[in-house]
Amino acid sequence: MASIVAAMAMTHAPGLTGWFDRAPAEQQQEARRALGELRQRLESARPDVIVAFSNDHLLNWPINNTPEFTVGIGEEHVGPAEWYDEWLALEQYRIPGHPALARYLVNEGARRRLAFAYLRRMQFDDGISVPMHYLNPGGRTALVPVTMNCTVPPIPTPERCYQVGTVLRAMLAAWPGPERIAILATGGLSHEPGGPRYFWVDEEFDLWFLDLLKRGDHQSLLRECTLERMEQAGSGGTAELNAWILALAFTRGPADVIAYLPAIAWRTGTGMVVWNELA
Amino acid sequence: MGNVERCDKTLPLNEMMFYVRKDARLRARWQTDLETLCREFGLGADEAQALRDRDVRRLNELGVHQYYIPQIMRLFFGAAANSNTHPALEAYRRAFPEETARAFALAERLERRAKG
Repeated sequence: MASIVAAMAMTHAPGLTGWFDRAPAEQQQEARRALGELRQRLESARPDVIVAFSNDHLLNWPINNTPEFTVGIGEEHVGPAEWYDEWLALEQYRIPGHPALARYLVNEGARRRLAFAYLRRMQFDDGISVPMHYLNPGGRTALVPVTMNCTVPPIPTPERCYQVGTVLRAMLAAWPGPERIAILATGGLSHEPGGPRYFWVDEEFDLWFLDLLKRGDHQSLLRECTLERMEQAGSGGTAELNAWILALAFTRGPADVIAYLPAIAWRTGTGMVVWNELA
Repeated sequence: MGNVERCDKTLPLNEMMFYVRKDARLRARWQTDLETLCREFGLGADEAQALRDRDVRRLNELGVHQYYIPQIMRLFFGAAANSNTHPALEAYRRAFPEETARAFALAERLERRAKG
C-alpha cells in the first residue's frame, strides 16, 4: 500500500527565482537556508512521487471556465510555460509524471463525488516551477501536479479545501501501489498580485496564520482563518493558502515553521513549513 | 471580499489575455497592431483606451482580473527582472500612490528592524 511520507508547504513567489537578488541580503540568506532545509527534509523522506497542490494563475484555464481542481496526468511535465521562462529566469525543466496515480485521482475522485478536471499537458508558471527548482532539481522525483482555483471568484473556502484534502488522504491511502508519497502545498502567504496593494505584505496576518499552524488545532484554524480574513490580508493571492489548508488534512499536530520573511522585494509574505506528524 | 471581486469574468480583455500570453504570434501583434487585435477579441472602447493609456487603475476599475494587469504591463515593458523598480511596476506606483507609499514605508521599517 502507498504511504504518505512527508507534508510541507512553501511560498512560490516568482521573485524567488526571477529577481531573488533584489531582496535585502539577510532575506536572501534566510531564504536559501530555509529552502535548503526544506529540500533536505523532503529528500530524507525518500519519496517516489510528489503530489503538489498549487494555484493555477489563469494559465491552464480561461476565465470563463476555471475548475476548482485540475490534475496533470501526463507522462512527463515540462515547464516553465512559454513567456514565463523569462519572468522566472528559469531554464526549461522536465519532470517525470506518474500517470497511473494521477488518473486514479481523477477517476476515484469522481466515484467519491469530487470533480477533478485533468490535463494531459499541463502548463506551469511560478506555482509549480519555483518549488520544483528548489526542492526537486533535475526532476529526480516524479510529480503529480494538482492545480487549484485560488484567484477567480468564487474561490473555494478553506473548509472546502480541507474537506477535499481529507478525501484525497483516504484516496491515496487506498492506492494499491507501493509508492512513498510526499504532499507539497505551494502559494501564499499574504500578497495581492496585481491589486492596489501589490507591494504590500501583511506581516501580522502571516505570523498569526503560522502561529495557528504551530498550534496544530485544525478546527480552530478553520474557524478563524476564513476566506474573508485571507482576502483582507491580500486579495486574490493570500487565498493560495487554501493549498496549505488542503495539505493540513494530511497531518496532525503542530507544524515546524522553517522560516518567515516579510519579503516586499518579492511582493509576498514568504514562508516554509514542514509537518512532523502525518494523519 | 477584496479587490479580486471587482473582476468582470465576461470582459473581452480577460479572454484576450488568456490567449495572448500563450501565443508568440499574438504577442508579436500586441506590439505591432494592438488596435486590430482589440477589435478581433471584441474589446469595448473603454477597454481599448485603458490599454492604450497603460492605465492600471482604469483597467482595474473596468473589471480586468487583477492578476492580468501586471501581465499587460509586462507585455508593454518586458518581463525580465520584474523587481519593484521595473517600468511595469512603476505604472502601479502611479496608479495607487497611497497604497504604494504605505508598502514602501513598511519595507523601510522592516529593513531598519532587520539591521537592529
